[in-house]
Amino acid sequence: MPLTLHAIRPCFEGAVPAVIATCALDGTPNVSYISEVHYVDPQHVALSFQFFSKTRQNVLENPRATVVVIHPDTGAQHKLAVRYLRTEESGPLFECMKAKLAGIASHAGMTGVFRLRGSDVYRVESITEVYGTSLAALPVRSAGAAELRCCMARLSAAPDLASLLDALLDGLAAQFGITQAMVLMGDAAGEKLYTVASRGYPQSGVGAEIRPGEGVIGTAALARTPIRISHATSEFGYGRAMREDARSRGLTAVLEQEIALPGLPESQSQIAVPILSGAHLLGVLFAESAETSRFGYDEEDALAVLASHVGAVAALLEERDEAHEEAPATAQSASPEGAPLRIRRYAENDSIFAGEDYLIKGVAGAILWKLLRNFVDERRTEHTNRELRLDPSIRLPDLSENLEARLILLQRRLEERCPALGIEKTGRGRFRFNVRRPVQLAEIPR
Amino acid sequence: MLGMTGDKGQGPPLDADNAAFIQGGVSVIVATRNSECVPDVVRGCGCRVSRDRRRITVLVEPGRADTLLGDIAANGMIAVVFSQPSTHRTIQLKGSDARIVKVTAADRTVAARHLRDWSEDLCRIGCTPEFANAVRGDVPRLAAIAFTPSAAFQQTPGPGAGKPLAT
Repeated sequence: MPLTLHAIRPCFEGAVPAVIATCALDGTPNVSYISEVHYVDPQHVALSFQFFSKTRQNVLENPRATVVVIHPDTGAQHKLAVRYLRTEESGPLFECMKAKLAGIASHAGMTGVFRLRGSDVYRVESITEVYGTSLAALPVRSAGAAELRCCMARLSAAPDLASLLDALLDGLAAQFGITQAMVLMGDAAGEKLYTVASRGYPQSGVGAEIRPGEGVIGTAALARTPIRISHATSEFGYGRAMREDARSRGLTAVLEQEIALPGLPESQSQIAVPILSGAHLLGVLFAESAETSRFGYDEEDALAVLASHVGAVAALLEERDEAHEEAPATAQSASPEGAPLRIRRYAENDSIFAGEDYLIKGVAGAILWKLLRNFVDERRTEHTNRELRLDPSIRLPDLSENLEARLILLQRRLEERCPALGIEKTGRGRFRFNVRRPVQLAEIPR
Repeated sequence: MLGMTGDKGQGPPLDADNAAFIQGGVSVIVATRNSECVPDVVRGCGCRVSRDRRRITVLVEPGRADTLLGDIAANGMIAVVFSQPSTHRTIQLKGSDARIVKVTAADRTVAARHLRDWSEDLCRIGCTPEFANAVRGDVPRLAAIAFTPSAAFQQTPGPGAGKPLAT
């Protein structure tokens, strides 16, 4: 069987530098190291274009080149006969290679020196193994069809979005040994992503927000492509720069930082995969590890397949919920007893505080306020998604806004920060708002 | 500075520092091209510099280099990059008079020493000796290619990469 690019994908992780030989039209050969040879598809690779070099000059005038890559575990060498096709200076391939190069640069002590100018795409015309004495391949951690099948069966069986995301994170841990992971959902306007579920962190971080373009998660969201880093790099971190930026943007931005994004302090490997429903970005699946090079091409494939399935199932669940929303029961609740809980709402950004504790803001904040008002004014505890979607006071930014995700966020945030209040699902598209203490509401106008 | 026009043997010799560098524990990567300007590339097994530092001999394992040796015999064009894994220090030498020469006992000593030094350098950045051996591969036989550098370039990653080498 002829060698395929697919079979030698570990060679494209950037762990061992590759070399490229080119030839000028005057017949002078040139040979150079290349930091990143990226697997694009079974017929193509892309090479990092970092400097205006002789290599680049040569391939522009004579597109035929020879690349040798090394397997990082076995030392096996493969020679690729390639033909230069084009350079991409933006878009998914570029973003993906830029992030990976940042990790490679960090590993090589070349941060700031390695900078991606473009992704040079080559067609691979032949692959030959260089006769050698390679080591036996290490047993690989399986990220294949059997594991995917188990995970996907659980995803398909999920009755609602919250269970779907839980099944995704539990499946990653059980089938793939990926124990630090989270799901962030995007708002319809595409302005931010907020954490709705996580596993493996001391704090769940539910409600933590990041903006598209920030770190690996934001880049995956913006470029709609998986982003993967195998060695810690400050370039794709989301620490100090974000906090400083937040201070300059005022109160709302400071609240955005109020809930810290969960993260491993010693994170080495990171992967972020967009969750799409058609062309619409629902969210991002993120995983990380303290181990270097933890996520390879196989894990990227597996997470991409799972994210794609989650996107499809989430869309189906939403459709189904809208079609089957049941009328709420009209029963009124008894008055709770105990010391009253003072709850403030700041009109400026719909931020809600219980006592002195910040709970939530934005759309989820507006929903919580609406539920509190209904309780205080009408003693009403039964609600439907439809009623919220149509309520002008909640100001859902868009009809395509994922209300269910906001409710999961609110439900989990209340569980963590304000157990006196709670949201309990009572059927498709409906839920009960539980109030276990008397509440006093105060509105702080703009 | 070495001339860049391919004037054989007319430029100054390689300086002593670079001569020592390319004979040390560096990766030696040899490239050629055929009559259609299709390049080939092979990992070398060491390098030897003549006493006057004008002539370079690179060693390859012929079982992995038949196309490359064919190119040398046909046109004599060669480019060789020397890079130290632990420091990224890299230079490239080019020549147009390369030819296959007889392997000497000294060449076999050079190849053995090269494997040891190169392997040591790789171990400095976390590789195992087994991995270094695997990448190098068995060297049951040697072939030697000698050439006169007609151009030399600095290729350490960074802003100076690609500039002619100061000697």
